[in-house]
Amino acid sequence: MKWSIIKYRNYFAIALCLIAICHTGTATAFTPALQDTTVITIHDTLYLPSPETESIAVSPVKPSRYDRRVHRYRRHWEALIPTHTKLQFAGNMGLLSIGTGWDYGRRNQWETDLLFGFLPKYDSDKAKLTFTIKQNYIPWSLQIRQSDFSFEPLSCGLYLNTVFGDEFWVHEPDRYPQGYYGFSSKVRFHIFAGQRLTYNIPSRFRVTARAITLFYELSTSDLYVVSAFTNRYLKPKDYLSLSFGIKLQLL
Amino acid sequence: MKQTLLGGICVACLLLSGCEMIDYHPYDVRIDGETDINAHHIEQIERDCLGKDTIRFVTMGDSQRWYDETVDFVNHLNQRDDIDFVIHGGDLSDFGVTDEFLWQRDILNGLKVPYVALIGNHDCLGTGEETFRAVFGDPNFSFIAGRIKFVCLNTNAIEYDYSRPIPDFKFMADEAQSRREEFDRTVCCMHIRPLIDEFNNNVAEVFEYVITQFPGLQFCTAAHEHQVFQLDIFDDGVIYYMSDCMKNRNYNVFTITPNGYQHEVVYY
Repeated sequence: MKWSIIKYRNYFAIALCLIAICHTGTATAFTPALQDTTVITIHDTLYLPSPETESIAVSPVKPSRYDRRVHRYRRHWEALIPTHTKLQFAGNMGLLSIGTGWDYGRRNQWETDLLFGFLPKYDSDKAKLTFTIKQNYIPWSLQIRQSDFSFEPLSCGLYLNTVFGDEFWVHEPDRYPQGYYGFSSKVRFHIFAGQRLTYNIPSRFRVTARAITLFYELSTSDLYVVSAFTNRYLKPKDYLSLSFGIKLQLL
Repeated sequence: MKQTLLGGICVACLLLSGCEMIDYHPYDVRIDGETDINAHHIEQIERDCLGKDTIRFVTMGDSQRWYDETVDFVNHLNQRDDIDFVIHGGDLSDFGVTDEFLWQRDILNGLKVPYVALIGNHDCLGTGEETFRAVFGDPNFSFIAGRIKFVCLNTNAIEYDYSRPIPDFKFMADEAQSRREEFDRTVCCMHIRPLIDEFNNNVAEVFEYVITQFPGLQFCTAAHEHQVFQLDIFDDGVIYYMSDCMKNRNYNVFTITPNGYQHEVVYY
């Protein structure tokens, strides 16, 4: 459902869509019981016939080349408007990370996020800021019964986290012989897998968001993997990290 | 009723096990459990060795990312009861990551005898030194066992770009004098020995001069090179004993008697 709305922002299409739902609804309700089991098929996407041409108002003035160009220009830049905001707790990217991102793909199964994280100083000398670029893949979204809730049994992906501060480096500083340590203390590669629960807010209750998603993730990063690989001493609780988050679907 | 209770316990367990898995950042310096280890253990060493004329201690080091081997070392050493204490020569961590220090601390806390840890060059990476300070204490420290003073130094000059005095001659000069009436002999411990690249070799000779000013200097111990050997670096009779890394499963044992000292290497 939600994907059809995103795809056809055209109000006309939405109206038609609603009419179509009503029709199918009444159709199934009044089907005479010819067989003892009625199979109701719920489709994720509704395929609609193309709208009838006479109902579309066409301007008598033909759009100029300039109009078309501006239209294209706006459309391209509009694609850069973030579709959601995210708040994530823990996950080796800061105590709390906040950011924005885009979902895309045929079923919006891909998501890219940019997050800034805050790390309090604890026993170190100063608090730190981190930045994360995160790529998510959500292969399935299953509606729970006929409710407004849907469940994403798997979300997975990877993220790169960098921490700001002079004490961290990407390339070893000049004081070291070349390749002395052979790793970067500034950039960490993480992989994760988790699950999500989404509440599609009914349109009459919407204020800022179209949907709210709660998620959790288990992740690990490069340095933890190389440590765990050669040591039986390290257990999953040592090298795996649990995090929680909330996503607000704005568009 | 029983089911809800059982369910509640399950949820509580999940939450508790979850808490351990909540990590904010590899370099967050968020420390659970014991801190200031060296101070606690020094107190214990000084109390236990008070009045002893023979001291037997172990030097080892470079246990970074060799957790299983370090566990084996702890189990092996716990079978002995002739050791007074252990000196870890530095490089507890490989990347300076906070958890690495905590894992090593938890393993070494399994030792029956007290231990102290020196700072290694790997322990200085990222927020490593800040973690080391919180968990173990000041990188330059000293203690007295029997009537022998152990001066433990941060010699990882490569990590500091000459922005800080490494080795700290002021600290060393003070150590030659402080608590002077409580010791007759001295042992000097460090992670990186003079005349290898990571030491501040501009002052290597000066360093040697300063340590020879310590009352009754016996010998020096170092780690870092991942091999066990001994060397009279400056041909002045001061022997440096280097300890192996934990991967190679051995450690040095020193027995200081009123007349001198013995050194042996033990493989486990």
